[in-house]
Amino acid sequence: MLRSKLKEALICLKNLRVTLPYPAQPAPPAEGFRGRLEVDINKCIGCGACANACPPRLISVIDLDTRRTIEFVLGKCTYCARCAEVCPEEAINMSKEFELATEDKKDLNITVELIMVKCDRCGTAFTTQRIVNKLMAKVPDEIEIEPAALDWLKFCPNCRKLREAQKISEAGT
Amino acid sequence: MLSEHEVAKRLRDAFPEAVVSTKIPVPGIIYITINTSFISSACRYLFEQGARFVTSVATDRIAQSNRVEVSHIFSFDEDRLTVVAKGQASTSNLSIDSISPVIPGANWAERECHDMVGIDFIGHPDPRRLALADDWPEGIYPLRRDFPYNYKPPVAPENAVPLKTPQPPASVLPIGPFYPVLEEPAYFRVFVEGEEITGCDYRGFYNHRGIEKLADSVLTYQQVPFIAERICGICGFIHSSCYCQAIEQASGIEIPPRAGYIRTILLELERTQSHLLWLGIAGHIIGFETVLMQAWRIREPLMWLCELITGNRKTYGMNLIGGVRRDITSEQYPKILEVIGKIEDQVKELINAIVDDTTLHLRLRNVGVLPPQIAREFCSVGPTARGSGIAIDSRVNHPYAAYSQVPPMVISKPEGDAWARTLVRLEETLESVGLIRQALEQMPAGDIMVEVKEIPPWREGISYVEAPRGEAMHYVLTGPDNRPYRWRVRAPSYANLQAIPIMLKGNSIADAPIIIGSIDPCFSCTERLEVFDVKTNKIKVYTRQELREISVKR
Repeated sequence: MLRSKLKEALICLKNLRVTLPYPAQPAPPAEGFRGRLEVDINKCIGCGACANACPPRLISVIDLDTRRTIEFVLGKCTYCARCAEVCPEEAINMSKEFELATEDKKDLNITVELIMVKCDRCGTAFTTQRIVNKLMAKVPDEIEIEPAALDWLKFCPNCRKLREAQKISEAGT
Repeated sequence: MLSEHEVAKRLRDAFPEAVVSTKIPVPGIIYITINTSFISSACRYLFEQGARFVTSVATDRIAQSNRVEVSHIFSFDEDRLTVVAKGQASTSNLSIDSISPVIPGANWAERECHDMVGIDFIGHPDPRRLALADDWPEGIYPLRRDFPYNYKPPVAPENAVPLKTPQPPASVLPIGPFYPVLEEPAYFRVFVEGEEITGCDYRGFYNHRGIEKLADSVLTYQQVPFIAERICGICGFIHSSCYCQAIEQASGIEIPPRAGYIRTILLELERTQSHLLWLGIAGHIIGFETVLMQAWRIREPLMWLCELITGNRKTYGMNLIGGVRRDITSEQYPKILEVIGKIEDQVKELINAIVDDTTLHLRLRNVGVLPPQIAREFCSVGPTARGSGIAIDSRVNHPYAAYSQVPPMVISKPEGDAWARTLVRLEETLESVGLIRQALEQMPAGDIMVEVKEIPPWREGISYVEAPRGEAMHYVLTGPDNRPYRWRVRAPSYANLQAIPIMLKGNSIADAPIIIGSIDPCFSCTERLEVFDVKTNKIKVYTRQELREISVKR
């Protein structure tokens, strides 16, 4: 009995206080820590891949008139970084920031607004200007794009289908 | 060793008309469709042959074939064999014979099947409501496919579960519904005669959140691992691993060997920190705060190590179907070895100090004894079973991840008391450190993730993971909409809690907290309260509404 108590006392005395003086002194997280997410609004093209992957479904993509709004409701974030993983533009980054207490959790929200392109045929806004720009930039300079193909880019998916169908039926008659 | 075909043959010999069909999608698992009138005798036969009951899954297949499927899952541990006995009930008569009279451990599983899918178990000894809230209306079954995930049914407070009352002269000592020692909601109605405990009734599931429903109606395959990880705040990684393994098995995905090793390392890191956490809490329960302080001091660097490897101290977010998301880099190896080496030394030092401590012996020896026979009947798992001499461990019985290359030593003690369970955990902590070291050494180079293409629908998968608290089991049935059609989770405490009334019986009130604590239970929130009137001996249970009215009046 006494021997055990002495051994236990020794362990306590050897280690003394281990509590860190946080928050008086900062306690930086480990390398690779996933903290508050940051969105580079200049890089975001509005594809919505992050919204599809997000497990707590906190990212919404809303199209209104000619604006696409991507909203991140960070109060729901579980810091899994799936959005950062799937983003094709590397626009999302998990920072090391973890001190996120706030009086209004809306303070944490991030909103990205992007201009949309209207369909040349029916007038519906169907994708963002940045996605179209990206597609254009992907075509190598030496390839000359036919005007018909350029038109194609300016049509919404539904009108593309309609036009194809029309072509086929015209060819048939 | 018993083979898949041998089990089917034996069942056919014993009951020539019982077996309708068999299916062996992967080695080690056989699904046997049983003629429904034989389900109880077939399950009794399996149990008598030495199979351990794991859990039951009820699946609504009304849309496809107008029936509800009940799968009783059994494990022949030594033979590394899982047997699924499937019964079916058509919608015209949604009932099936209960197996609980023969297998006491099936009690909760069958009650949950009734609560969630609405199938009656004929002859069930205690068909009270288990998992649904007290004010949930009768006849509405949340895991039916036609029940929308966001539907809120009208409250029906009259459905409160009738709680058991003891035979006089015993009286009730309520522990809970907020269980102060673990700061978690669980309600043990302990029946006492003087100081001695004579029985117990349990009401839990206060925090049932319906995540299985979310998974089969809202989330996608690759989103579920993250909610699975949140089933438990201490051993969440085992649940995401278990879910991913079940899907991988169902869809025939082979994960890269390195991913299996990384899962193994993280699972063992989790076991180490969880056992140290438990040791601290056990010390705290019996008022021995030195153990709490020192165990948790030793544990903390492990949490920092996990943050370094995974990006978070808990809920690692590492698992996806097909592998893991982050590699363990070679720069991290020395750091890992350094931390676990330190943990090993310090745990040894602590064990050396406390194993001969008579304070602990007085509080833990011969307390909460679980005889091996009872442990088997109630299908106990993990350190609770191993503390009663039942040497089962899913890492050995159903090897997964890299455990066939890094096999653990199964530690068991015959005494069956709280002290035996303590020693099992302490020795396992050291064993885990050895496993991590071995896995790090053997880990092959290579990919950590395979690309997952389409997951075919209507395939079943059953996977086990040995959590710190015992075996966790996940069952999945893949669906056509990029999400599971059915996902069933059986956490280890589900099995272990059912044996608590037996463990409490005959002990004194003062030992109740540590007996409950000794299975390392994991429960979750409540909104009800019971008042025992000493003058009239009447029990009044307040509903949430009544409580709100009282508080508003004040």
